[in-house]
Amino acid sequence: MDGVKILLFGAAADRAGTRQTELVVSEGTTLGDMWPALVDRHPGLAPMRDTLAFAVNGEYARAEDNVSPGDEVAVLPPVSGG
Amino acid sequence: MFRIVEDPIDVGALVTGAFRPDCGAVATFVGTTRVDESSCASVEYLEYEAYRPMADRKLEEIGAEIEERWEIGHVSIVHRLGRVDPGEPSVVIVVASPRRGPAFEASRYAIERIKEIVPIWKREVWSDGYVWVGSQIGTRSPA
Repeated sequence: MDGVKILLFGAAADRAGTRQTELVVSEGTTLGDMWPALVDRHPGLAPMRDTLAFAVNGEYARAEDNVSPGDEVAVLPPVSGG
Repeated sequence: MFRIVEDPIDVGALVTGAFRPDCGAVATFVGTTRVDESSCASVEYLEYEAYRPMADRKLEEIGAEIEERWEIGHVSIVHRLGRVDPGEPSVVIVVASPRRGPAFEASRYAIERIKEIVPIWKREVWSDGYVWVGSQIGTRSPA
């Protein structure tokens, strides 16, 4: 399985209707490339795009960063700890 | 010591655990849950969730940043998850330093950094629904 595990938190999990999903990606795919496929499956996420941050394998990542099969991607709404 | 916990935080033990003979100052910041009220509803409790272990590592990173910037003898950060009732501690930061300046400054720095980089989220659970703080998304009907 060439899947990327996608974890969603907080308001993003609410909007997606799930806390975890999986997308198939090929080598060379970027985080930014993945977004349309994720929104296609979970349209409720679309309005959140500009507020979200992403992590790949537990570290903050940018839209142009690569995602490979087996990676864990996290969808992070604005943090509100404290 | 950097820890994410699901149970009430023993603030006193964290403070006394920071006492050291080479430090003359211990600064403590305690973040407690606050109850807001709107026209006909109020916050019943806050509920926290985290992306672990990333959140644990980010707390450790903040500790490392503090050790780089200031001369301190001790730093502890403990953040709570799950349901936290009004007025209870959700985060406790304790910094000990030889003199008071770095302890005050570093404890302030720690809470600001937590609010910037640690993947923890809270939602306010009101009597009529909930709201994710920061996203302002939830199940409460618009006022």
